[in-house]
Amino acid sequence: MARILIKDLVKTFGGFTAVSGINLDVRDGEFLILVGPSGCGKTTTLNMISGLQSPTSGQIIIGNTVVNDFEPGERGLGMVFQDLALFPHMTVFENIAFGLRVKKVAEKEVRERVSAAAAAVHIEPLLAKLPRECSGGESQRVALARTIVTNPSVFLMDEPLSSLDAKLRVDMRTELKGLHKRLKATFVYVTHDQAEAMTMADRIVVMSKGRIEQVGTPLEIYNRPATQFVAGFFGMPTMNFLEGTVEVNGSGRCFRAAGLEQPLPDAVPAAVADRKVVLGVRAEHVLVGNGGALRGTAQLTEPLGDMTLVYFDYGQKSPLVAKVGPATPLQPGTPLSFGFAAERCHLFDAGSGARLF
Amino acid sequence: MATIATMSPEQARARRLRRERRARALRHVILLAWTGFIVFPIFWMVSTSFKDSGEWISWPPHWLPHAPTLHNYAQIFAFSKIDPTLSRQATEQAFSIWKGLGDAVLVCTTASLLALLLGTFLAYSISRFKVGGKHFRHTILTIRMIPPIVVAIAILMYYAILIPYASTSLLGIRVSLFDTYVGLILIYTATTVPFVIWMMLTFIEEVPYTLEHAARLMGAGRITVIRRIVLPLVASGMVVTFLFVFILNWSEFLLALTLTHPEVTTLTVLLNKFQSASEGRLYGPQAAIGTMITIPVVILGVLIQKHLVKGFSFGTIRK
Repeated sequence: MARILIKDLVKTFGGFTAVSGINLDVRDGEFLILVGPSGCGKTTTLNMISGLQSPTSGQIIIGNTVVNDFEPGERGLGMVFQDLALFPHMTVFENIAFGLRVKKVAEKEVRERVSAAAAAVHIEPLLAKLPRECSGGESQRVALARTIVTNPSVFLMDEPLSSLDAKLRVDMRTELKGLHKRLKATFVYVTHDQAEAMTMADRIVVMSKGRIEQVGTPLEIYNRPATQFVAGFFGMPTMNFLEGTVEVNGSGRCFRAAGLEQPLPDAVPAAVADRKVVLGVRAEHVLVGNGGALRGTAQLTEPLGDMTLVYFDYGQKSPLVAKVGPATPLQPGTPLSFGFAAERCHLFDAGSGARLF
Repeated sequence: MATIATMSPEQARARRLRRERRARALRHVILLAWTGFIVFPIFWMVSTSFKDSGEWISWPPHWLPHAPTLHNYAQIFAFSKIDPTLSRQATEQAFSIWKGLGDAVLVCTTASLLALLLGTFLAYSISRFKVGGKHFRHTILTIRMIPPIVVAIAILMYYAILIPYASTSLLGIRVSLFDTYVGLILIYTATTVPFVIWMMLTFIEEVPYTLEHAARLMGAGRITVIRRIVLPLVASGMVVTFLFVFILNWSEFLLALTLTHPEVTTLTVLLNKFQSASEGRLYGPQAAIGTMITIPVVILGVLIQKHLVKGFSFGTIRK
């Protein structure tokens, strides 16, 4: 049983609060990804789960045991580090065998288990090599084999793919997901890469400034971001944000900002009327052409192959971005009409950033 | 459009080659002069060690011995009372280096190993547990900046007077560190530990924390982590540090002169005693002993050259 329960976890360094009272329930067998910008407290949280750092206050419960005072090696965890942390003076075999040797496992069993772990990640031919003789992807697999050989019930991963090139990273994402399915263990994974989080996680925990902003499935996070921060952090390109107010006329709702008016669905609560709000709309929900009521001028186009990003000016200081088809005739300077898909607009409180609709 | 200089590409090339040749020649002249400056005393010492007494201070100087002799070496390596044929320039002193050599090897090796052991563990705790705060490493090095002459007499007072006095009054037995192996080893260890800490800190900080974290997560305790991860990775650095400290101890003179003799005599102190009433300073045996002191250092250096390069270049641990 490898459920992890985190209760009111706090970590301070001198006067700086890295993690400020988070609560989290990691389900058994779940692939949970902690994501957020640098310094948001995600690695500190992972280090506290692993035992490499002690919490200032709060509890960490693995299974049914409070493990706050357990040594890292006593918690039944495996961890893959950002720099992989392979022992440079040991062969791949010895690297993988290290954990077993520490636990004084019999030599015959060590050989069997190392071979099995190496086979699981397809690195059998590397066993006699030194880590420096392995490529980036191979080193990654060695680090994984070294972790799985001890059969931990929880895998902790601290940005393990960050040192790989883009293509290899995508390949390794698939492999990690496959590994999670095979092992059925609990994975807690830290990254600042939203694509990794979206593609691999069962659930995502978005963190900012030591707090949890939102916990949810990748699609929940993407489609119903709980805060403006989450909305801005997920999605490429970044969501368009416009400051303004909502007017409520009977059953009709309308968002007004400088140089712009956008009807909103009736479901928008009347309580948001006359409040300062931020309207968020993703680039794919900005509808260019189609007789949109608003006018703008294309400034820059970025063809991505399967689509093109159009940055356009609509008379205000920051431009908007829209996703259009790959064969768009739009060129910088071309006038265009646009509108927003009303059902896909998000409203956030301009002060707190909390989701209003 | 800017105009290109009027000379042809061939001329420009010839000019570049000329400049490079000139710079190379100048570099070699400077390096040769510097090498000569450094090597000359060593050459003179070795040359003198093969000269008979008449040639030691002859004028004009004999660059090479006119009548090469092993006499000086026979004298310093004599095992027993000196043969009358050898002792013609000497007083009754037996100028054998065996005692000095034995003492120097014993004291320097023990003190260097002790300093290495202590310093490595201290450096580890300073690096990993931030013992002593942020500037502790600099504080440690400043201890070593104190000239030995400042402490020599104070230590002598402790060794020869205060410790014997205190032990006699408190325990009823006289304990003296003056002119003892333990005394000299202790002071050599104390004076070189700062260097060991300073050097080993550099090597230990090259070992990424995550290696230790990984090992700890796999169940290894602190001692296992140090033994199986940290020490193997800083082994080259330890060899370099040991050599450095050994050479410091091997060539130390002032403290040995102040705190020892006649029971404990290191080579540097012995070297100073090579005088005779009739002939003054005995340059021949001194040169021979100087050569003998230098040889182990050179041999050590050559033997561990690989480690030296590795140790001083760093960057070998991180992948």
